[in-house]
Amino acid sequence: MMNLLALLVQRSQPLTLKQIRQELGNQYSASDTAARAAFERDKNDLRQMGIPIEMITLGGDSAGEGAYKVDRRKFELSDLRLTDAERDALQMAVATIRLGASHGDEALWKLGGERALNTPSTSVNVQLDDGIMPALAAGVVEHRTLNFSYKGEKRRVDPYGLLARNGFWYIVGFDHLRSAQRVFRVDRIEGKLEAGDKGSFQRPEGFDLSKAVPTEQEMLAEGDGQTPTAVVLVDATLASGVRREFGDGAVAKERTDGSIEFVIPCANMDAFRLWLFAMVDRAEVLSPPAIRAQVIEWLTLQAKGN
Amino acid sequence: MASRKVVRDGVARVLSGRKARRGPRSAAERVSGLLVMLPWVLERKRVKLADMAKQFKLTEAELMADIMMAAMCGVPPYSPDALIDVFVDEDEVVAEVPSVFSRPLQLNTAEVFALVTMGQAAMKLAGADTSGPLATALAKVRPLLPDDSMVVVDIANIKFLSELRQALSPAEQVTITYFAPSTATRTERTITPRAVFEDAGNWYVSADDNLSGERRVFRVDRIEALTRTGVLAPKFGEPDEVDSDGPEWFGDAVQHVTLRVAPRGRWVVESYPFVSRVQESDGSSVVEMAVSSEHWLGRLLLRAGNDVQVVEPAQFADLGKRTAQSVLRRYGK
Repeated sequence: MMNLLALLVQRSQPLTLKQIRQELGNQYSASDTAARAAFERDKNDLRQMGIPIEMITLGGDSAGEGAYKVDRRKFELSDLRLTDAERDALQMAVATIRLGASHGDEALWKLGGERALNTPSTSVNVQLDDGIMPALAAGVVEHRTLNFSYKGEKRRVDPYGLLARNGFWYIVGFDHLRSAQRVFRVDRIEGKLEAGDKGSFQRPEGFDLSKAVPTEQEMLAEGDGQTPTAVVLVDATLASGVRREFGDGAVAKERTDGSIEFVIPCANMDAFRLWLFAMVDRAEVLSPPAIRAQVIEWLTLQAKGN
Repeated sequence: MASRKVVRDGVARVLSGRKARRGPRSAAERVSGLLVMLPWVLERKRVKLADMAKQFKLTEAELMADIMMAAMCGVPPYSPDALIDVFVDEDEVVAEVPSVFSRPLQLNTAEVFALVTMGQAAMKLAGADTSGPLATALAKVRPLLPDDSMVVVDIANIKFLSELRQALSPAEQVTITYFAPSTATRTERTITPRAVFEDAGNWYVSADDNLSGERRVFRVDRIEALTRTGVLAPKFGEPDEVDSDGPEWFGDAVQHVTLRVAPRGRWVVESYPFVSRVQESDGSSVVEMAVSSEHWLGRLLLRAGNDVQVVEPAQFADLGKRTAQSVLRRYGK
């Protein structure tokens, strides 16, 4: 395969398979069928590596015959003129932001750099599956429609953007099935992810990726519940954390023992339950009565073992 | 498979590392690797075989075989520029003469995407130099992408993160007030930060802790006060190797529990570390977790309600029920 590539790079004229076999001696089988199969396999592998092998259909005496050539300018990296300090900085970024093992390392090597062999003292874990990254990247940066299964349904999604938040990756895009913008958790994609043709869609003007995925506070507020907010008393030990999370605007009353009454969105009762019970017995819903009764009912059912 | 364990909220998580190779590498894999390695080694002229093998995650025997394969390549008329002049001299890989594969391959979309995403995220870290070499490197790499504007890594730069990062090198002792929600206690500690890391949206500091005399992992958002002491700590051991995909963080007194998780409770599996998971035909999962705190497990069971049941050990079978009863008392029931 390397000889095939070297030959096609070296020759200025396109070569037919017959010429390639003559040049490379016994590299390919004497059998025409076997040689053709081996050549096709090599050609395909090289294309997978990003080496564009062009085929030209010849005219004249060889009319209809295919000839192959490789233009090295189409697969060789132009000199980005990175300084040593810049390569070191990229190495540190790749070691620090743990996105996935292989693609960052490959990029560093191609840029003449090295992967870090020592653990950096700061790291951020935002791992994306190495297998899914090429299609995701192609979808977002080359505007290719993505096809995948999600919650048991086939989806066609124009990926407007990718967001990593709180340990999860999200695709935000136009869902052709629902004919609306939707958010998809990447780790919930079932099976393969396939990217369509380049330039398949345009992102809407003014699209704001960071606002497209709701925060935990926004999720508490997004629901069908009849009551938009509840007053929750949080013990002093946890009050500062809740205050940090929801801001001073959520504080209804500060008590002398350090505990605080907060006004918390609860339209999404499933999300509210998860948030409230994370504090176990250090938080209590005070009002409205319907929400307090609902919490007591949940607890009673669980306390009975139902 | 390489793995690492991360302790989060008292739970050890096993994360898969890079995939271990199974069986011999294909010809395509070897050629693909050589097309990356040849320009890389040419730029350096001579590299120790052992160092290069480690850099490219190969055994020395694999690298030697690849170098020999490359050295045997050549096409008529076998002029120097049509040969690949690479060989192993004693314990060094040598490539001093430019040949047909002297220039690196272009970066593919996934590689540029990964590099730009990681670079942009690193620029958001507390204390990052936003006009330094990383910024100028990104300015050179970014044009390789047709559209680089729509990938965001949301990194929360929380209080004390910058101070902790500054205290990493040279290692400086800091005093902290730390709140542990599981016991509702505050402690004053002097710690020497050794690593700071973010996982699932939370920041942690791994530090030598004078209170316990051990290396401990603390959640940064539970540090209520921090003072830098200016006292430098002695160097602690050798740096960790990154090949295990990161340092290992072990919890103390870890106990294993097996849970049956209904489909509605899959957030438990997605949000928390687990040791093993078996998918059942009814859509539920049987999950083994390492738990270091009964309080933490009780909280998980309370939040999950009927969606999670303890399979074993028996001592935790009614923990969800007991936790609910304790919360009910707060409501006067």
